[in-house]
Amino acid sequence: MISIKNILILVILLLLQGFVFSQETRDTLQLKTVLVLESKVPAAYKSTQLDSSATRQAVNLSELLNSSSPVFVKTYGSGSLASVSFRGTGANHTSVLWNGVTLNSPMNGQVDFSLFPTPFIDDATLYHGASGLINGSGALGGSVELNNATSFNRGFSTTMQQSIGSFGNYISNAKISYSNQKWLTETQFYFNTNKNNFEFTNVAFKEQPRITQQNANLKQYGLQQAIYRHLKNNKLGVRFWYFNSNRELPTSMLSMLNDDVIPANETQQDESYRVMLEWSGFTSKLNYRITSAYLKDKLIYKNNSSSTHSTSNTEVFDNKLNTSTYLNYNFTLKNVLSVRYEQAKTDGFNQSHSRFNNYWLLGIDKQIKRLNLSVFNRTMMVSDEVQMVAPSLGVLYGLTKGNHLKIKANAAINYNYPTFNDLYWSVGGNEDLQQEKAEMVELGASYKAKIRSTVFTNEVTAFYSHVYDWIIWLPTNINIWSPTNLREVENKGIEYSLKLNTTYQKLKIKFNGNYAYTISTNRKAKNYNDNSVNKQLIYVPYHQINYTLELSLMSFQLSYNYNYIGRRFMSTDNNWYLPANYISNVSIAKDFKVNSKTKLNGSLKVNNIFNQDYQAIAWRAMPGRNYLFTLSFQFN
Amino acid sequence: MRLLYVTLLSISLFSCKKEELGPQCINCSNDSIESEAADVLILNEGNFGWGNGSISYYQPHTKTVSDNVYKQANNNIPLGDVVQSACQFNNKIYVVANNSSKVEVVNSSNFSNIASISGFNSPRYFLPVSYSKAYVSDLYSNSIQVVDLTNNTITGSINTNGWTEQLLLYNDTVYACDMSNDNLLIINPSNNTLVDSVKLGVEPNSITKDKNDKLWIMCGGGFQEDNAKLIRFNPQTRTIEATFIFSNINQSPSSLIMDNEKEQLYFLNNNVYKMDISATSLPSSVLINNNSNTFYGLGVDPINEDIYVADAIDYVQSGIVFRYSSSGSLIHQFNVGIIPGKFLFIE
Repeated sequence: MISIKNILILVILLLLQGFVFSQETRDTLQLKTVLVLESKVPAAYKSTQLDSSATRQAVNLSELLNSSSPVFVKTYGSGSLASVSFRGTGANHTSVLWNGVTLNSPMNGQVDFSLFPTPFIDDATLYHGASGLINGSGALGGSVELNNATSFNRGFSTTMQQSIGSFGNYISNAKISYSNQKWLTETQFYFNTNKNNFEFTNVAFKEQPRITQQNANLKQYGLQQAIYRHLKNNKLGVRFWYFNSNRELPTSMLSMLNDDVIPANETQQDESYRVMLEWSGFTSKLNYRITSAYLKDKLIYKNNSSSTHSTSNTEVFDNKLNTSTYLNYNFTLKNVLSVRYEQAKTDGFNQSHSRFNNYWLLGIDKQIKRLNLSVFNRTMMVSDEVQMVAPSLGVLYGLTKGNHLKIKANAAINYNYPTFNDLYWSVGGNEDLQQEKAEMVELGASYKAKIRSTVFTNEVTAFYSHVYDWIIWLPTNINIWSPTNLREVENKGIEYSLKLNTTYQKLKIKFNGNYAYTISTNRKAKNYNDNSVNKQLIYVPYHQINYTLELSLMSFQLSYNYNYIGRRFMSTDNNWYLPANYISNVSIAKDFKVNSKTKLNGSLKVNNIFNQDYQAIAWRAMPGRNYLFTLSFQFN
Repeated sequence: MRLLYVTLLSISLFSCKKEELGPQCINCSNDSIESEAADVLILNEGNFGWGNGSISYYQPHTKTVSDNVYKQANNNIPLGDVVQSACQFNNKIYVVANNSSKVEVVNSSNFSNIASISGFNSPRYFLPVSYSKAYVSDLYSNSIQVVDLTNNTITGSINTNGWTEQLLLYNDTVYACDMSNDNLLIINPSNNTLVDSVKLGVEPNSITKDKNDKLWIMCGGGFQEDNAKLIRFNPQTRTIEATFIFSNINQSPSSLIMDNEKEQLYFLNNNVYKMDISATSLPSSVLINNNSNTFYGLGVDPINEDIYVADAIDYVQSGIVFRYSSSGSLIHQFNVGIIPGKFLFIE
């Protein structure tokens, strides 16, 4: 048996490494203790774990992050392109890891978060700022980690879910799994169709007509299959993901005066295949995870009025070797070697392009009484460019004996390489671009207390980062848009989170809130008339608040989610802005226990309950009050 | 603890009051404008799809500028984007909003909206060919649209094979720059038919006419496709009389404009250049140096020949306009809307 102390160390490592608890906890009995210990585990870097109740409430990842995290989600509307940014950085500074595999497109460095249905993942964790480095992703802003659980010895289980919502929304999801002590197989189907034909007031016209959104149809379907084999202290498995999305891109409100039905002018089709092999396990001295993945993505964009039909194909081989070696019980050596080959072919390039995008992360993690110290270095090799040193240093100190009050600090230097679009887009791509460089520091404190039945956790983090050689696209003298390393950006701010769990007689009360204050400014003038210096970057809100209050009484559950996104500027001189919007969502659910093996759950979610008119992006229509009714059936 | 919940809940309940909606301007003037002859309109394109195209109004004698005059005069209704060009005709200003696929008809004295002509694909330039008829060139529709000015509707189209740009009416004939096929299209407006097409240089973008009734056409050369060319064309014989070739393939000149006497040509080629119509070669010296600005738009005041040049800076902030005397000395510089691209001198 491993001692409690060892488990504690293991947990630190798991946390730093980006291993996911829920995944491991179900594996062995020893690790089940981990979940209990987890919250006491110190970590010098800021992360946000999105719990399953939040995950359940959201249709896709974009909605989940928007409602329950301090990151900024920029979305064109339900089912439309959604990008995520941390702490004032860009959408291509957010990396997305799926079971340890980096998913960012080699073409634009981004991930469209509307292409991740929440039933296809079991949990999500956000790593803010420099913590994104430690988990291996290397993003300047932060990273989003999505994971699937692998639970053995569970027998047969079937979950079926059907949602019916406003504006012709139907979502079906089915999951069938079987596992014994040795084998696990899991098959999952997903289907989502949404007409999105909501009514809105078009304030772009003086008549302010009430009109129906046109050409916003969405159809998505997907399949996920996993097969795992449990060996002694390790497991071996393969996971396959297929996802297909077909959507119309509605025009802005400025070109919608009436309800005339006209064919969609713009459409986008996305198709992705992902295959991943995984071998992971542990010994008393070593913890390891080896993943090898092949990702193939296709995007077809059509625009009738300009007769555009553009196809982009990307292929990625992503291989990672992730080990933690316990030199002694409080001293660990961590090693990540990532070998990634990226290839892209698109009508936008003159030829297909490929490159290696590799890194090697090496670091130590040491516990000295109440002090936890970690020192890491990343070495990057992108194409033929080598960046030997990208260090990070983290310190955490428990001020009180039970670790109720902890302070932490970290600092890091990191680099972000230009994407294929930046380098090779024809015309405009610039092969002379340098990598973006970020220097970041973070200071935080967390406090956890338990007073009778109330558990109270709060955490405050102040961050500062300076990004040099930030790439922006601008027209040149001959009116060709081209990227340069022109910009220099300073990001600073505060993130605060509060969690409360309490019971009042039979009533369970859960509160989870986030606040983020972000000042993100341009520090470099294009020329002497440039009024953007020291002004807030566009589409970065100063203030962002969201919280969820959940009340459970017996088999009933009531949840209220509030989401405030402050004023966002639309011009770099901060002369134009989009006003703040605050959206409230309410959901009510009830569990029905049919028998010992069969469970039923019905829920009704009311989105935008106060029927607010708002724009998340200028002149893009958003739906008013709308409903989603979901029936879930679980058979074990 | 419960107090906290109540507080939070009440904050969210109280916050659902009626609020401002859509993009808002912090520093925009609110005075209503009465336009006068000799004043200058600056057309600000705005960002593609952002609906922030606008019109700024400049009075040269007082050096005052008002932004967003269209929005102010029309209950805060946005003009659209990308505001490509405008044309004053018959006490009206026809404003072409390219990406919004429309032409707004505006009262030229107070900017109030009279009508909206819709149904275009990607309109570029507006040219009245008679009191009741106008042509509109287009980027994507493979045609020039014919507009009835009495009821402001599209009544027909003239097939072209691609992108048509600037238009010119001379001697009851319309001349259109055909960007896609490097042609000058010659159109008979009485029956809306294409009469002839003449090969020019790569990507003819602007056209003007001199005092000798010769047409001058600037061919930008595309992106390193061919050297840019300035062409003098004889409309009577339908032949090219002279071709001036820009030596550097990276140069992409644009915005060819004639002064009021129709003797001097002005154009943009990183800097501002001036050329006499009798010159035998392209100007070797710069009239106005860009001083590390990116000159995007050019205008020449027909009365005093003051030169207006626009710089969009980073294309996401209020652009800047430099006003120079005809000899090239700076008179005034002022901020306007986002991506100033064209100037219209009110008659």
